[in-house]
Amino acid sequence: MRWNRYFISMALLACSMCAMADDSISAQQPVESKYEKTLHRKEKAWASLIPTHFAIQNAGNMGVISAGIGWSYGKRRQWETDLFFGYVPKHDSTRGKLTTTLKGNFIPWDINWTPKTASGDAGRWKFQPLTCSLYLNTVYGSEFWKSQPGRYPDDYYQFMSTKFRLNVAFGQRIMFQIPESKRKRHNRIALYYEVGTCDLYIRAMFQSSVPLKDILGLSIGMKFYTL
Amino acid sequence: MRKTLLASVAVLLSSCGGVFDVHPYDVDVSGETDINKKQMAVIESQFANKDTLRVAFISDTHLWHKDAEDQVEDLNKRKNIDFVVHCGDLTDTATEIEYEWSRGILMKLNYPFVALIGNHDYLGTGDQIYETMYGDMNFSFIAGRVKFVCLNTNATEYDYMAAVPNFDWMEEEMVKDSTKFDRTVIVMHAPPFSDQFNNNVCKAFRRYLDFFPGLMCCVYGHVHNDDFGPLYPDDDLIFYGIDCAEDRNYRILTITPDGYEMEQIFY
Repeated sequence: MRWNRYFISMALLACSMCAMADDSISAQQPVESKYEKTLHRKEKAWASLIPTHFAIQNAGNMGVISAGIGWSYGKRRQWETDLFFGYVPKHDSTRGKLTTTLKGNFIPWDINWTPKTASGDAGRWKFQPLTCSLYLNTVYGSEFWKSQPGRYPDDYYQFMSTKFRLNVAFGQRIMFQIPESKRKRHNRIALYYEVGTCDLYIRAMFQSSVPLKDILGLSIGMKFYTL
Repeated sequence: MRKTLLASVAVLLSSCGGVFDVHPYDVDVSGETDINKKQMAVIESQFANKDTLRVAFISDTHLWHKDAEDQVEDLNKRKNIDFVVHCGDLTDTATEIEYEWSRGILMKLNYPFVALIGNHDYLGTGDQIYETMYGDMNFSFIAGRVKFVCLNTNATEYDYMAAVPNFDWMEEEMVKDSTKFDRTVIVMHAPPFSDQFNNNVCKAFRRYLDFFPGLMCCVYGHVHNDDFGPLYPDDDLIFYGIDCAEDRNYRILTITPDGYEMEQIFY
């Protein structure tokens, strides 16, 4: 129970690394009144809430398909926070289920595939050899509990909750920067894959002799950036 | 370009097999389903008129896969067993993948087998996986004129709001096919007085058991203990506890026309 809380707080911490991002606008402007300054500051603050991208992904323990919005930030936009809504189909269960995921990504490196000298209107390709993701998923339904309901004796089920899952994934991305003249709704598109697993599976791996490959799952996704 | 991409994504999605993990509590059972029904049909046809029965009881395999595999190997080596009963807790957290792992281990048995549902097998949507993979939570079958009544006793999982144990079903089983059996063995996951049993009905439950023709003994799992003896004061009905896989022992019940013998096997 205690390490369960620890993991959840770690996840939230990773997802909230954003706050520090800043853009610098230093154009010469006429002297602003106090009111205008306040207004601009507020506008800037609210503007930072505008999602920078739309994302869609399959599997990854979040549902057969998930879609959501996200924010990228940092000097090279190496940090990302995504909010996904996913769908788990009915199959042999009583009904389909919805999930929500808060996902934090870190992209340590960018490799440019297009030489800098290439002509301006060709579009640019970028390869991101590693993405690290930590995400918290919650599934909706009365079958799942956040923490052990009162009907059980204390510490009856010695593990977390059935509702929240902490996942970890690593992957790679290809990003295409759309040439300015051809931009309609997006300026960049990324295609990615991830290989990941969740807390319950890691626990199972340690407790039994299941090989690592049996607990890993693949997922594929796309991101459409507007900002 | 986007259309091609979307099409290829759709193809990948439709080929969703073992590669893509949809959700740990996804109830998408692939492979063998309705196991108990199929296996009971085999047991009932193979051992209908056998006068000596050898039944192995195993339980609470959870995530102790190595021990469970050794157990299956040990059982297979004996060759003189008729069938195997797993007393529940096939999984630890009732995820789809765990159900598949434990099924994989049990399928290596050279004998027919049935499995009861344990409280751990309920977590999340585990009970729905059990119902697809194994079948009904209360079931019975007859071998060698002995009826094996497998009862769901995990009342805490329902917050005591379901008919668990189901007395109506018990009443039906007392008389159903009564010409085909003379004796009864009761199998359950959680025994009376345990944290899963509806302890308000312990005494009533005991009284009901007396209506089963030729009641021999009860067998249970859940407590990870190999205790045996009467559970009720001033009673001679023996309850045999089946240990968990980690403790590496199980029991074999030998039923002869004159009585029965229960032995404990360490491996």
